[in-house]
Amino acid sequence: MTTALSSSAESTGVSRLSIGVFLFRLRAFIALLILIGIFTLLTPSFFTRENLIILVGQTAINAIMAVGMTFVILTGGIDLSVGSTVGLAAMVSGLLIDRGLELPMFGVVVYFNVPAIIFLVLCLGILVGAFNGLLVTRFNVAPFIATLGTLYVARGLAQLSNEGATFPNLVGNPELGNTGFPILGAGTILGIPIVIWIMVLFTALGWFVAGKTPFGRQVYAVGGNERAAELSGINVQRIKMAVYMICGMCAAMTGLVTASQLVAAHPATGESYELNAIAAVVLGGTSLAGGRGTVWGTLIGALVIGVLTNGLVLLGVQEFWKKVITGLVIILAVVLDQLQARLQQRLALKRG
Amino acid sequence: MCRSPQLNSTFTRCRLAVFCSVKTLTEVDISFGSILPIVKFPMSKLIFRTIKSLNHCFLVSCFVVVSAMLIAPTAFAQEKKLIAIIVPSPENPFFKTEADAAEAKAKALGYDALVLVHNDDAVKQDQLFDTAIARKAGAIICDNAGADASIAAVKKAKSAGIPTFLVDREINATGVAVAQLVSNNYQGATLGAQEFVKLMGEKGSYVELIGKETDTNAGVRSRGYNDVLSQYPDLKKVAAQSANWSQTEAFQKVQTIIQQFPDVKGLISGNDTMALGAYAALKAAGKGNVIVVGFDGSPDVAQSIKDGEIKATVLQPIVKLSEMAVEQADQYIKDGKTDKPEKQSIDCILINSDNVGKYTMFGLKD
Repeated sequence: MTTALSSSAESTGVSRLSIGVFLFRLRAFIALLILIGIFTLLTPSFFTRENLIILVGQTAINAIMAVGMTFVILTGGIDLSVGSTVGLAAMVSGLLIDRGLELPMFGVVVYFNVPAIIFLVLCLGILVGAFNGLLVTRFNVAPFIATLGTLYVARGLAQLSNEGATFPNLVGNPELGNTGFPILGAGTILGIPIVIWIMVLFTALGWFVAGKTPFGRQVYAVGGNERAAELSGINVQRIKMAVYMICGMCAAMTGLVTASQLVAAHPATGESYELNAIAAVVLGGTSLAGGRGTVWGTLIGALVIGVLTNGLVLLGVQEFWKKVITGLVIILAVVLDQLQARLQQRLALKRG
Repeated sequence: MCRSPQLNSTFTRCRLAVFCSVKTLTEVDISFGSILPIVKFPMSKLIFRTIKSLNHCFLVSCFVVVSAMLIAPTAFAQEKKLIAIIVPSPENPFFKTEADAAEAKAKALGYDALVLVHNDDAVKQDQLFDTAIARKAGAIICDNAGADASIAAVKKAKSAGIPTFLVDREINATGVAVAQLVSNNYQGATLGAQEFVKLMGEKGSYVELIGKETDTNAGVRSRGYNDVLSQYPDLKKVAAQSANWSQTEAFQKVQTIIQQFPDVKGLISGNDTMALGAYAALKAAGKGNVIVVGFDGSPDVAQSIKDGEIKATVLQPIVKLSEMAVEQADQYIKDGKTDKPEKQSIDCILINSDNVGKYTMFGLKD
């Protein structure tokens, strides 16, 4: 994907075109800066420390999911079940804290402590992802349909887990040793909420894995040209399995964070979150056809959506106009994405 | 190198459009993954360095975000106090009236009002509470998104020193919100059920539509209905389903139910939007004479009652409730307390063909 350029025969034409392409690649970042500038000018309460921390905190929920989604979309697939996985993860964490794990054959109820619950719920996310991966690789179901089915299954399971009711008051019981869950959502380190640190961690890991490891290269290869990747000896099935599991894990993390913030597990949590995650990925410059995109681009995309939402709320824009504006921004992003593909093609032809 | 006439013109356009003002950027060439400068002018050296650093965009974006958070000034309190009004989607005229009445009253009392919509998503509601806290609001008026899921948000507001006044829906906790103003849903439901009994002639089969399970009001109203209707042995409930307060869901569910029970005589609904959906389904199936009773007192149903379609509804005095909430918020901001108890309820009024002539938007003219 990266081509070193020979220093000979650099016509000004090629360099100017490639500057354009380069700036174009940065369009999400430039858009973010422009939006921040516009909102700062329009309302004094935007560029304040409290508001920025809230903004990034709200973005974090979407960004964590979007990092996982980036991997899936990079292989040319899609995962529509992330929203339901968020809900399921939230409900399971609520169940484990509130009711514990009932083992009727041993006649005991097991209450796990909070780190164990986090680990178990992340494993649950990986399991849901593995289920998706199985459908896509083993049974050759189109990712759209497979994950659509999982969307309903996971949502139904989430609602079944407590007959549609909420698990309230997840502070835990000191006697059972499962206190400390709300810290995940409400705690701060160095004055910055833990949610934001988790987002930074996940984004850094994602960026490293995607950009600097062989696994990441293989993901890009599978997305770029699956047949060629297979013929070059890459285990395509394994890569696809892995990316869906990563996506499921990120969604489970988001579920944990939301349940912790609300100190309650709500079965409707995460409804239509998948659309926000996909929007963040697309805004960040990842192509839906696969093979092109970066994790930090997804972070920028999530921030753009976050800034837009937060700014429009502060401006007091009517709710329905917010939807129209957000939709138009996403459409613009996809159109520009297509333009970028064509510009890059032109540049490649020019050099060839 | 291949050059087609097409490419040439595109390239020319590119050059004209983007680069007509950057003559000094010549000699700097950027490729996808690596930067190979051919440095000719000092200007391009600086630009090259900037562009190279921009290539490490992940670090730059982190730096931008972190530094923004650190150097940004803290929020200042404005002269006019802000009242944040957090409600469900105004697609339902009930919530729209609720928000409009609160906003109007707040402005009339000299406050700034900000209406925020949570769409029945508890996480979104939590974030909107965060926004209100960051804006250092004087008070929050809220119609909440879940009796259990909203407790954390109200607690957060309380510890930030912002009083919350809940309207229309309660939460399952006392001592966190300053006031919980609700209509007396149980009393209203019994009113509606008694009218339903009268219209049904105390016998026949009927269907019940229940509201969203996570909303306490759904359960309270259902209980009120059942407490009255179960006393009449000739009234048989053939189906009870939740339509989640949604008009389309009620339409579809009732369409299915009347296939199974074509002789149903009456339908009692947890709210007006579901009643409208249900009536549309019944009318489409040629059963427009089925007795339908709703709850809320929305203008659509009032019109329907005037047209003789839906038979009755129970009016929630939501305008009065909203205004009371804002008035109590105003008193709390000025005096630090209100002399009212936390849980307050106002009685509902029955609306049927007799008094619908006096109906105004969620109110009754005397």
